[in-house]
Amino acid sequence: MADTIQLLSFSLANEQYAVNILNVQEIRSLEPVTRIPNAPVHEKGVLNLRGVIVPIIDLREKFSLPRLTYNALTVVVVLQCQLQDTHRVMGMIVDSVSDVVDVDSALIQKTPGFGDKVNTDYIKGLASSDEHMLMLLDVEKLMNLNPIEEQTGFNENRAHGTGGQS
Amino acid sequence: MRVNMPVTDHEIIMQPDDILVTRTNLKGVITYANDAFVTISGFTREELVGNNHNIVRHPDMPSAAYEDMWQCLKAGRPWTAPVKNRTKSGDFYWVEANVTPVIKNGKVVEYLSVRYAPSREQIASAETLYQKLNAQQASLRPVGVAKWLKSIREISLTAKTTMALILFWLALAYLIYLSLPVLSWPVLSGLILAGVVASALQFHNVSLVQGTLSKSIDICHRLADEKFRNIIDLNRNDRMGDFLRAQYSMQVKLNSDMAYTREIASHAMRIKQALDNVQSNVMVADQNLNIIYMNKSVQETFNNAQDDIRTQLKDFDASQLLGSNIDQFHKNPQHQRTLLAKLNDTFTSALVIGGRHMNLTVNPVLDENQNRIGTVVEWLDRTQEVKIEKEIQSIVDNVKAGILDQRVDLTDKEGFFLNLSESINELSEVVENVITTIATVMSGVAEGDLTGAVEGSFHGLYEDCQMDINNSLEKLTEVFNQVREASDFIRNTAQEIASGNNNLSQRVETQAASLEQTASSMEQLTSTVKANADNAQQANDIAHTTQKLAVKGGSVVESAVEAMSEINQSSNKIADIIGVIDEIAFQTNLLALNASVEAARAGEHGRGFSVVATEVRNLAQRSAVAAKESKELIQSSVQKVRSGTSYVNETGAALTEIVASVKKVNDIIAEIAAASTEQAQGITQVNQAVAQMDEITQQNAALAEQASAASVSMSEQAVTMANLLRFFKMKEDAAAQLEPRPPLKNVSNQPTPSPAKPKVSSTPKVATSSSQAMDDGEEWEEF
Repeated sequence: MADTIQLLSFSLANEQYAVNILNVQEIRSLEPVTRIPNAPVHEKGVLNLRGVIVPIIDLREKFSLPRLTYNALTVVVVLQCQLQDTHRVMGMIVDSVSDVVDVDSALIQKTPGFGDKVNTDYIKGLASSDEHMLMLLDVEKLMNLNPIEEQTGFNENRAHGTGGQS
Repeated sequence: MRVNMPVTDHEIIMQPDDILVTRTNLKGVITYANDAFVTISGFTREELVGNNHNIVRHPDMPSAAYEDMWQCLKAGRPWTAPVKNRTKSGDFYWVEANVTPVIKNGKVVEYLSVRYAPSREQIASAETLYQKLNAQQASLRPVGVAKWLKSIREISLTAKTTMALILFWLALAYLIYLSLPVLSWPVLSGLILAGVVASALQFHNVSLVQGTLSKSIDICHRLADEKFRNIIDLNRNDRMGDFLRAQYSMQVKLNSDMAYTREIASHAMRIKQALDNVQSNVMVADQNLNIIYMNKSVQETFNNAQDDIRTQLKDFDASQLLGSNIDQFHKNPQHQRTLLAKLNDTFTSALVIGGRHMNLTVNPVLDENQNRIGTVVEWLDRTQEVKIEKEIQSIVDNVKAGILDQRVDLTDKEGFFLNLSESINELSEVVENVITTIATVMSGVAEGDLTGAVEGSFHGLYEDCQMDINNSLEKLTEVFNQVREASDFIRNTAQEIASGNNNLSQRVETQAASLEQTASSMEQLTSTVKANADNAQQANDIAHTTQKLAVKGGSVVESAVEAMSEINQSSNKIADIIGVIDEIAFQTNLLALNASVEAARAGEHGRGFSVVATEVRNLAQRSAVAAKESKELIQSSVQKVRSGTSYVNETGAALTEIVASVKKVNDIIAEIAAASTEQAQGITQVNQAVAQMDEITQQNAALAEQASAASVSMSEQAVTMANLLRFFKMKEDAAAQLEPRPPLKNVSNQPTPSPAKPKVSSTPKVATSSSQAMDDGEEWEEF
């Protein structure tokens, strides 16, 4: 049991994703956000979370998935990570939170390559749970947006984001 | 002595101009009384004439007067005296009576009395004298010395002369005797001679006077006897001559008066004779309406009519009419008298008495002083005339009715009616002659003899008729030829028509059968339409029920819609509640997740908490799933309720439409019902029409059969006609054509009949046209 890690699974466009539960600060309902001018489209705004300003990102839009109308059941998973000595907190808007699953870390497989055109950088690995395939997201990469955005050519967004972040 | 009583003191004064004349026979019986006498006496002429004259004697008159009168009369002397007479009513009147015997051939034959109006002095002295006479104190004739003196005075002239001559001769003789001594013989002889001459002269004078007087008396008697051609010596120059001349003058005057009177009388007689003999019935009545004259005609008329008149007037006697009063013929004589008294102009009247038709023409008769002296009545007995009129009328009626052998009997006709009757007989004769002649010819025609002709000389319309009949006979001959030919054709044609009619008859029978089928079909149709109408009525009722049900359904649907709406609201509330539960589950889940996150962070210490969190999360998830399911269920329920509501609403709308449609259906069904009723009526009419058509068709069938039969019989008739035509006897050339010639073509080749008489101009044309018709069969129709 020593190698077992707990993952928080959630769904996004009928696909199951998962993050390490230790990167999860809390899970909340979507509350009204304060929009930041010139922010990228997927960055919906910021939320005052017990005194901490937390940016809220729509993960569907982040992953170029079709937009979904927000409702009372739309959930924001507040992620945290230690990045270059910076404790970063960020809200991810997902379709729904599914479960907390225990996964043997040995069973976490590497992400297969799909060629140059497909960016699979945010996916750390694939885990299976109860015949479901869970895409294990790399929270650090997800929260450290800049290089990826440079690679993917979203300079303008990054500039904004950077600006917003700073 | 007769005493006529009673008497009155009333005197009737005789008018000075009046002359009362009577004639009596030798026994004093009145044979004649003039009108004046009849009038004043008050008696009727019948009462007077034939009665003794003493009927008018007044009791005051002394019988001595009458004895004196009769003495005078018996002595052949006239008698005159004032006489008091009595009227019928007892009144009296004075007359100066002049009675004279009438001597004929020296014998007294009757007495003539003429009475003048006396003067009052005459009446006064006469009254005194008659009173004395009645008292035997006076006599009418002188007595005693007076009578003696009178007898001396009335000694005859001859005796007186003889006595005077004797005295003369005695005196002369005595004188001669005394003077004889002194007288010479010549003186004496002269004296004697003178005495003889004087005596002779005296005797001569006396005998002359006596002779003349005798002669004059004789002449007077002759004059009285109306003999006026007496020879009288007119040449004497002495007094005697004067007397004779005066007598002659009187004779001439009397003769001329007599001639005048005779002339008047003959005029009157002539008129009377004329009246007697005229055909007119003339009757004259005096003022008292006594019939004083009847001419022969009227007498004859009444004699003839007597029996008829007696049926109405039982006492009528035609022989007693003259002298009777017309009052007896009248029911109301006074009315008639008044009417006639006022008459001053011609009055005409018509009366029917005892079946006699009488026309009356009444005229007043006036004297020269315009006094009414009588009435003249003309009777016209139209009985015979009426009878003859009827007789002639019956003859004329018979002639009108075609009975021509009757004639007016001429034996009792005369004058105008004879002429008229003869004319009518002549007319009947002529008409009978014409008609008989024509009838003879026509009866010949009736027996088929067309060879006859109306012979004889007629004029005018009769001639036209004669010509026409003769022409007709000729034409008939021609026509019968053509008819015969026509009958051949008709026979053939009739056979064709018969066969055609048979076909027609069969077709009509087929038609009749079809019509019967049609009729039965129509009856079925009628019952179907009636059933239809009944069904429509039932459908109508059902539609009504349906409408009510649909309306009811509409209200049910509204209730359902309301219920659905409430369900929907409840569901929404449930959905809301479930939403809340779902949210709670969601939040719980989030809390459990956060708990799991916290437990994970806590590591091994949080292991148990993690299990609890997991359990909570499971519950939350189950709760969320349940809520989700409930929500889905509720949502589905709400959805179903909504769709149910819409269905119910649709049902409601549909029901409204159904109601409207049912109403329409209702109306339509009502119309159908009405239409069905009309259809039923229409079909009934069609049915009747078909029945009539059927009847007519059957009649047609019968007619077609009859026509067929008729055609057959027509064909037979044509044959019969041809045979019948042979019955007619025609003139030779025409008769030749009437021999049977079956083929028509041959007929056309026959020579055309030559016209019997050239003057009948149309004959050749007819012959030509008939020959053309024979040549061309198609022209037969025209012919």
